[in-house]
Amino acid sequence: MINLIFILILILEICFLMTNIINYFQSSIWTIVSFIMVTIIILIPLLSFLSYSFFTVDNVEIIHEFSLYNFKEFLTGEIYIPTFFRTLLLALIVMIACMITGYPIAYFLAMYAHRSKYFILLILIIPLFMSYIIKIYMMRSILGYSGLINKLLMMFGIISEPSEFFLYNQNAVIITLIIILLPLIIIPTFTSLEKIPRNIVEATYDIGCKPFQSFRYVIFPISLPGLIVGAVFVFILALGDFVTPQLVGGTSGFTYGKIIYSNFGMAFNWPFGTALASILLIVSVLIILLTNYLTRKN
Amino acid sequence: MSSILELQNISKNYGSSVVLKDINLSIENNEFFTILGSSGSGKSTLIRIIGGFVKPSSGDLIFNNKVINEEPIFKRPFNTVFQDYALFPNMNVYNNIGFGLKIRKLDPKTITDKVEEVLSIVGLNDFKKRMPHELSGGQQQRVALARAIVCEPKVILLDEPLGALDAELRKQMQLFLKDIQKKIKTTFIFITHDQEEAIFLSDRIAVLNNHQFEQVGSPKDLYYKPKSKYLASFFGECNLIDGTVDNINNDIITIDTAIGKINIKNKYTNISQKQKITFAIRPEQIFLNQKKDNNSFSTNVDRVEFKGAVTNIILDFQKNIKIKVQINNAEEQIAINENDQFNIYFDPNFGNLFLND
Repeated sequence: MINLIFILILILEICFLMTNIINYFQSSIWTIVSFIMVTIIILIPLLSFLSYSFFTVDNVEIIHEFSLYNFKEFLTGEIYIPTFFRTLLLALIVMIACMITGYPIAYFLAMYAHRSKYFILLILIIPLFMSYIIKIYMMRSILGYSGLINKLLMMFGIISEPSEFFLYNQNAVIITLIIILLPLIIIPTFTSLEKIPRNIVEATYDIGCKPFQSFRYVIFPISLPGLIVGAVFVFILALGDFVTPQLVGGTSGFTYGKIIYSNFGMAFNWPFGTALASILLIVSVLIILLTNYLTRKN
Repeated sequence: MSSILELQNISKNYGSSVVLKDINLSIENNEFFTILGSSGSGKSTLIRIIGGFVKPSSGDLIFNNKVINEEPIFKRPFNTVFQDYALFPNMNVYNNIGFGLKIRKLDPKTITDKVEEVLSIVGLNDFKKRMPHELSGGQQQRVALARAIVCEPKVILLDEPLGALDAELRKQMQLFLKDIQKKIKTTFIFITHDQEEAIFLSDRIAVLNNHQFEQVGSPKDLYYKPKSKYLASFFGECNLIDGTVDNINNDIITIDTAIGKINIKNKYTNISQKQKITFAIRPEQIFLNQKKDNNSFSTNVDRVEFKGAVTNIILDFQKNIKIKVQINNAEEQIAINENDQFNIYFDPNFGNLFLND
């Protein structure tokens, strides 16, 4: 069965490829080469992976027969859809928080930091080069029961005993994701703000804009595509994340990503995990297409 | 005519490097005033000071008898046409032009009327829905101009607006600018490095050289009565002949030069015997083939440059002196060939003398 699907996919691919070869016949050989590369490296593995979502599992044995059981399970199971929407909400909160904090940072960096802006930007994006796990552990030591925040709050007498508000719950997941994903929104926003010629900013004042009007009608609209790109990055990554909830989320902070993870790990139910993953993938792609459509319309 | 804008002792320096030094200027209402200078002469800084983008290091900017040094950009009744247009990329042509009015909170009906009117002045009615990146350079230029004039500013500042256009379009836009200025009756302050453009467009020109004004005057003043040797050759072509004053009569000065003695009308008060001077005369002020006793010189033709309407003839007087003569080609050119013997005549009424230090 699996072989059959593979062959089917390959045939489809070859047909697709042939039409493309005919279409691009006048264009260079590189178009075809790049198309073959994309097919081999991305499309075939992805499709063969997704084909698993139509299989079922019986006592750690994968049954290679077409079935919609996994999708039925997703729709009827008690936890899946609520968790999915809770995770969407979480990703939305993280995204909005990142937009609200990231935009001003990018703005002041691009507009007022002058010569030191690239240096500051570098410092801000260094965490991107660090291991993801290390960053989460770092957050743990900051947010934890005897972590930095609790110690500081106690030192200033705001709380009398360590608060459990910051670790092993949904708040911890949100705070950690915001901190980790923030650079991803700063970079594209900074780039789009920095590209605005000084002339255009001057022209807004020249035409009679007060500083806020200049921002509201010209600077912000021009930088919006960059902010949206960053926001989509953050949203998609927050939506699919499973390590953060694993390490700082505790029992109340589990997310959709963590369910997928546990299906591949502990439960050893690859087909169901794949089905959940493909639903996530489809939603993510839809979000990207939607934002793409919206930004292009503007 | 009354002065609308005055610059008093405006100086600007960045650290120790001087950009502008004691600029004094009075610009009259509704005139087309050009600030002309080569690149790096500080002309852009000057217009940016007027616009409010740069603060002068010292001196006062006076608009309608009021010092406006501290007035923020958005309060000044000036609008700028930027060198690279600086159209708002997120707005179409219509909104770009209407933006200034929207900010001023005019009612939508008035905005529509005014924008439509300006659109027809600049001839872009069919393009109002286009985005700036969908327009050619010349069209963007017109939008930038429309955006500036729609706010009905008292002064329009144009910072080398034609710099990025090709020669043909540039000529069209020059005509267009001149027409518009007549139509809307507003003061234009124009910046350029192109002398021809300045002469063609301006009511008055100020030449900026070495951080200061070399001369301020009408195009004709600058062309026929340049105040310095630099200006004489800056505006159009000019033959410069060094010499010493040989004799001064009441109305004739005789100068002794390497090509011989030349007599010129005396219109100077500061010239005395034996002074070292330079005689400057334009190629079209020298006449060919006129045999007169005085002021006639004869030599070989070094080169003949046929240019269509005119022909330039370069005469070789040895000792490194070459004189360019321009003749009008109204009739078909009389044959002049290289190495022909030729006679030229300096009319005493033409040419200028400059003192040499």
